[in-house]
Amino acid sequence: MLKKTMFLGALSAMSISIGAVLPASAADPIKIGLLEDISGDLALLGLPKLHGSELAVEEINAEGGIMGRQIELIHLDPQGDNARYQEFSRRLLSRDKVDVLIGGITSASREAVRPIIDRTDTLYMYTNQYEGGVCDANMISVGAVPEQQLSTLVPFMVEKYGKKVYVVAADYNFGHLTTQWTETLLKEEGGEVIGKEFIPLGVSQFAQTIQNIQKAKPDWLMMLNVGAAQDSFFEQAMAAKLDYPMASPIKVMLGFEHKRFAAPALSGLYAVANWYEELDTPEAEDFKARWRAKFPDEVYINDMGYNAYVAINQYKMLVEKAQSTALADIRAVIATGDACLDSPEGKICIDPKSQHTSHRMRLISVADDHSIVTGKDFGVIEPYWLGEVGCDLTKENPKTQYSPDNLPG
Amino acid sequence: MLTYINGPQTLGNGRGFWISFLALCVAALAYPFFADPYDVGNFAYFLLWIFMAMGVCIMWGYTGMLSFAQTFFFGVGGYGYGVLSIMIGEQFGLTFLSLLLAIGLAGLSAVVLGYFMIYGRVIGVFFGIMTLSMTLALAFFLGQTAGPEWAIGDARLNGFNGMLGMPPLSIPWFGGDIVFLDSALYYLVIGLLAVVYIGLRILLNSPFGHVLVAIRDDQERTELLGYDVRKYQLIAFVIGSCLAALSGVLYTAWGQFITPSSVGLPAAAMPIVWVAFSGRSDISATTLGTFVILLAFQTITIYSQQWALILMGALLLATVLFVPQGFVLGLMQIVQRLLALGTRGAKPAGSKGGRA
Amino acid sequence: MAAEVFSTFYQFADVFAFLILSAAGLAIIFGMMGVINMAHGEFIMCGAYVTTALVHAGTPLVIAQLSGALVAGMVGIVLEVTVVRSLYARPLDSLLATWAVSIMITQSMLIIVGSSFAGVGTPPGSFSVGVYTFSTYRVILFFAAIGVLALIYLLFMKTRFGIFARATMQNPSMARALGMRTNLVYAMTFGFGAALAGLCGALYAPTMTLIPTMGATFIVESFVTVVVGGSNVLLGTAPAGLALAIVRTWLVSWQGQIVGQIGMLLAVMVMIRVMPNGFSGWFAKRFG
Repeated sequence: MLKKTMFLGALSAMSISIGAVLPASAADPIKIGLLEDISGDLALLGLPKLHGSELAVEEINAEGGIMGRQIELIHLDPQGDNARYQEFSRRLLSRDKVDVLIGGITSASREAVRPIIDRTDTLYMYTNQYEGGVCDANMISVGAVPEQQLSTLVPFMVEKYGKKVYVVAADYNFGHLTTQWTETLLKEEGGEVIGKEFIPLGVSQFAQTIQNIQKAKPDWLMMLNVGAAQDSFFEQAMAAKLDYPMASPIKVMLGFEHKRFAAPALSGLYAVANWYEELDTPEAEDFKARWRAKFPDEVYINDMGYNAYVAINQYKMLVEKAQSTALADIRAVIATGDACLDSPEGKICIDPKSQHTSHRMRLISVADDHSIVTGKDFGVIEPYWLGEVGCDLTKENPKTQYSPDNLPG
Repeated sequence: MLTYINGPQTLGNGRGFWISFLALCVAALAYPFFADPYDVGNFAYFLLWIFMAMGVCIMWGYTGMLSFAQTFFFGVGGYGYGVLSIMIGEQFGLTFLSLLLAIGLAGLSAVVLGYFMIYGRVIGVFFGIMTLSMTLALAFFLGQTAGPEWAIGDARLNGFNGMLGMPPLSIPWFGGDIVFLDSALYYLVIGLLAVVYIGLRILLNSPFGHVLVAIRDDQERTELLGYDVRKYQLIAFVIGSCLAALSGVLYTAWGQFITPSSVGLPAAAMPIVWVAFSGRSDISATTLGTFVILLAFQTITIYSQQWALILMGALLLATVLFVPQGFVLGLMQIVQRLLALGTRGAKPAGSKGGRA
Repeated sequence: MAAEVFSTFYQFADVFAFLILSAAGLAIIFGMMGVINMAHGEFIMCGAYVTTALVHAGTPLVIAQLSGALVAGMVGIVLEVTVVRSLYARPLDSLLATWAVSIMITQSMLIIVGSSFAGVGTPPGSFSVGVYTFSTYRVILFFAAIGVLALIYLLFMKTRFGIFARATMQNPSMARALGMRTNLVYAMTFGFGAALAGLCGALYAPTMTLIPTMGATFIVESFVTVVVGGSNVLLGTAPAGLALAIVRTWLVSWQGQIVGQIGMLLAVMVMIRVMPNGFSGWFAKRFG
């Protein structure tokens, strides 16, 4: 008996060491490491992301997995703490030896993960829309970036409402960079920013900001406020009868403010999104039905949750085209420029130069009763900015985040 | 000087204690030889926070000053290391120069700020809130340094997203640099920890340490006995702050990354939580307890998803209610009592400085 | 010109109301009773959530708000009896205990109620002065803050309970010897503080994002105001709120939010340095 166990033990040890050398057999699952905050301040956004990932894994496994291998999803909850992101990405990479790492909400959490992932040969997929600019061969960005959202939204607003803009932005990287984008795009349209205000994260009282806006008398507002506390602006502005048209690349589709605040706090707000739950194409309806069947209590299927779902399907597409989970093979597929996926929003592709994803962008606006009106369909917009300024991951890998004030070269 | 290594201000002075101490050291040194490399790296990460907790223990447990500024100095150390190591570079072991300079910078700011507070007779909760204000002000400041104007040389502070690009600690060695990551970092931290621990024991059991405890127990009486209380408080504050800065440097070098969230709330409350859990009035309890609680919190977070924070809260609450002197200190006292019962006829060791 | 003057005063009143309402409950629990209550924000959240839930159920706003305060008060009494009571002799340990309670409450709310809660909207009503329009509700908040200060003063100076409470806080054994039921007094006082915190949440609920961690928005301002006020809350809280509101309003209107935020914290450091026992200590020294 004892002998037999020892023999089995030796055998399994052998199979482990062989497994490390030979390509994994069809029976081994593909491991996906997922880091999403489902506790603390960011749970609001992290829960739909976890749900989207779980739905994708369930569907793919039911259809036979990736190249016949089932997916094992290993989710850890970093609780919105950057240090936990560091700990857990190490754990997923060295202990669980995941094939791909996905997740992260804030840009800070992404930047916490990058130095760690860059020392490995593992792929990392960041699933949020963000301020753009990360040029890193280990990373695929799934969410929309400013050129996709603002190059469509700003000209529309200028044409419809006028050229004088007041920017209310969160006082951190996203807010500053997106403000720069707004200024650049406005200049092209002949408009200008007549006032801008940067609000520290966590500030929830806006009486002074409201008055500053009234004093400046803009044609419309660009809202780049971030986080639950800063969302209070909408309620307070409405109460003070501040009824300027608003534009924002992050409201409604991401934080579902129109579901969280009583109407008409958000009315008159325009946004451009690749996904929002009210999207009613047949593909989108089908996707929503599957989601709601699995998670009937979801308050809102936001774009982050949708992106998380898309990311795992993108990964499946990449691995199946590469016939391998190795980063180099996957990147070879991306380099062909044919890493495309038919997603609920439409056909989207990964740009070889920047490894960011193209998106089908649509204009949406919030009505008085907080229902969502779908406006113009801008079609598929490429994430063109990084490629234009000189990031080309098919040639070199600078592992840097660029911005208009920090260009390559 | 070594005579002070044992004394009334530290628990565990007998032969039994030192034998277990040595056993622990040997076990710690041998650990990387049979453990998973991931666990070694993970342990190194836990251990690097302990310096900050030791600082709280010196200031709060021994001197009676509750400082929320540990993460302030953690930030000064971490950002200081980031800026300096990017400017000075990583050749010839110069990262260690950055380490020393960053701690020096933190020490200097501790002298200035400590003088401002302590010589102004700010004590008790007022001291706590003043240090908290200072810490939050730094966190807010660092959070808004996103723009390119906030750069020192090539080092961009980079606001809320955090500072990147600093090298890990390294020294030149025959056949290539030793880079302090994973097991090399583990040994470095173990070494530093042993040195700091012994050093603090000597300090606490020296006449200087007795004065600190006297201040904690009765500031007025200590003053009437002719001691310049403020001088002692300031020194304790500077030592505690430098320890926090050491943690900050090691953390930044470990992950090559630091953000303002490491400075602000809730991070600022964490060292106090660890030390209160461990038993603030003893340096050994703090050292051991901080490691235990960091390991426990991480394990709970890995295995219990959304219930993690509730379990952590319950653990802390139970500690406060049922083991008032602190979890590890409580355990240590029980062990000591059992040992005392074992050596026949010996009196149980009197409970020591449990109230502060 | 009149519009500018009024606008400045309105800004000041807004900040003042925020500081006083968030600090009032803590002034009782921390300032008077010495309990470092890290769960203060959760009392506020409790008041806000109860108010919102009741309004969703059809209760008029004012009644919902009073109920929110009441429920927070009852939660406070439960917390006092189960946890805080054994910690009066070890005030610093109350920090750890209430912090533990705080993370347990927020996380339980997240699991039970969900990650967000739909708001109810600010009561309509606005007026304009010159080019500016203002929300009437925020003016009501200012008067509510004054009302709360008056309530604290009347309760502790003019009622029998207030005398008992002050006696108990000053010298519990003597109070007990004189036949007061100090345990009851402690519980009621703590409950009153919690109810005031709940009232803060109830009043701000219509104007804010409702998430389980919303209490964190208030916690720094409340601690800072109470500590600058000093240990005698009847004397200190109002001037502390006044001074900090002036500093903050001025800095925000001059240099924007971030300077206002950092500047207020630096002002706190300077004020404590100048008055090491807070406003009330300074008053006592000058006029006592």
